[in-house]
Amino acid sequence: MYIRILLNYILGYVNIRIEGYFVEKFINICISKGIFLWNIKREKQATAYANIGIKDFKKISKIAKNTKCRINIQSKKGLPFIFNKYRKRKVFAILLIAVIIFIICLSNFVWNIDITGNVAISKEEILNSLEENGLKIGMFKSKIDTKQIVNNIRLKRNDLAWIGIKVEGTNAIVKVVEADKKPEIINEEEYCNIVATKEGIIVKVNALNGTPLVKEGDTIKKGSILIGGFLEGKYTGTRYVHANGSVYAKVWYTQKEKIELKQSNKVQTGLSENKYSVKINNFQINFYKTLSKFENYDTIEEIKKMKIFSNFYLPIEIIKNTNYEQTLENKEYSIEEAKTIGEEKAKQALENTVPNKEDILNTYINYNETPEAVEVEVIYEILEEIGAKEKIVF
Amino acid sequence: MKKRNNRKIQTRLERALEIPKEISSNEPKITIMGFNEMLIENYKGILEYQEFYIRISTHIGILNINGFNLNLTEMTSDDILITGKIETIDFEEIQ
Repeated sequence: MYIRILLNYILGYVNIRIEGYFVEKFINICISKGIFLWNIKREKQATAYANIGIKDFKKISKIAKNTKCRINIQSKKGLPFIFNKYRKRKVFAILLIAVIIFIICLSNFVWNIDITGNVAISKEEILNSLEENGLKIGMFKSKIDTKQIVNNIRLKRNDLAWIGIKVEGTNAIVKVVEADKKPEIINEEEYCNIVATKEGIIVKVNALNGTPLVKEGDTIKKGSILIGGFLEGKYTGTRYVHANGSVYAKVWYTQKEKIELKQSNKVQTGLSENKYSVKINNFQINFYKTLSKFENYDTIEEIKKMKIFSNFYLPIEIIKNTNYEQTLENKEYSIEEAKTIGEEKAKQALENTVPNKEDILNTYINYNETPEAVEVEVIYEILEEIGAKEKIVF
Repeated sequence: MKKRNNRKIQTRLERALEIPKEISSNEPKITIMGFNEMLIENYKGILEYQEFYIRISTHIGILNINGFNLNLTEMTSDDILITGKIETIDFEEIQ
């Protein structure tokens, strides 16, 4: 029943007023002829209101004449009447159609390439190799042969373990899995030495196979042999083996920072200006004068790609340049201040290079004061395994 | 006599096949939902319709409905849905 009312809404219906003394008769005849009436309301002795579909309305006049009823249209409802309202707006309709065609045309091109999964390889590099093999922004979607592109790239590049291209809307999603470089594995049967990777002082030598060539407390250079890959026997002579074992040493990491006492810092004044420009494919329109009104300023560029739905990118970019005004501020540090600042800087830089913070044995801090600047040197003493296998080349 | 026999066989058959009564016979089915809604199936026609009083003819008699603001919300050739405040219902059986 509700489906029938909904259908009538789509096809259009009218609300009519029935006036006459034989309203019941009118309703009965309507129903016996299969005309669907709904929401019949009686108001007074001689009037009633009812809804009727457009198609059935034409049949009604004859019945009304026979039953001596008068019929008035109260209101017109439904989709056809709504459309009729906008019939005279031709320009609107033409533009609407034009926009729809425009969007359909645009949706046949790729307007954005998303690359995910890359860590070591830069986005530009992947974009370049994609372009070489036939996937770039602004391409016709049906021309893209993803299988072919993937095969070509995989043949050319060794550093990609897997690559997948999925075209969604106007967005091409490229998923990349980088290949890990294999560490050089020395076969168990081959002869090798254990060699120092860093400079330091030996703390502990633990040779499982081979002859230890260094003692505790020895100072070693990078590359010197720690455990030799040979064994000497009284009767057997020299015999080469696959050296094995671990060597621990104290290693120093140093970081120098020079802090000048007189510094001029850039400080933002809080004033800023926005400059907008629109980039359509490769054609840029600037909406500003290129000269800034500030003398010293910092520019931050923001690029926004226009998109309609989540995956429907348009070839339009809005570029927003924000200039922040800056002033130079001179600042003078006391020696103590400079020392602490330098120390913090050096420690932060060191902590990025040190593999394990827990292994730090000692920290040494040296200061070197001059009238203009303070030099801070921070040294971390770290216990570390420094042995690495190296093949013996005869 | 023969006609009556035929009728008897028909009803027996219908009972055996479990055909709903409102389909097989002309008897009206009246469903009342709360005090505000009433569905009558298998009716013949409307005899009188006022805001406070509806008189509906069926194959076995006349159905009178009293109430306020009675609307004939949906009407087809088989069933009729009445909404509004229904107060009393009574039947006039055709003898």
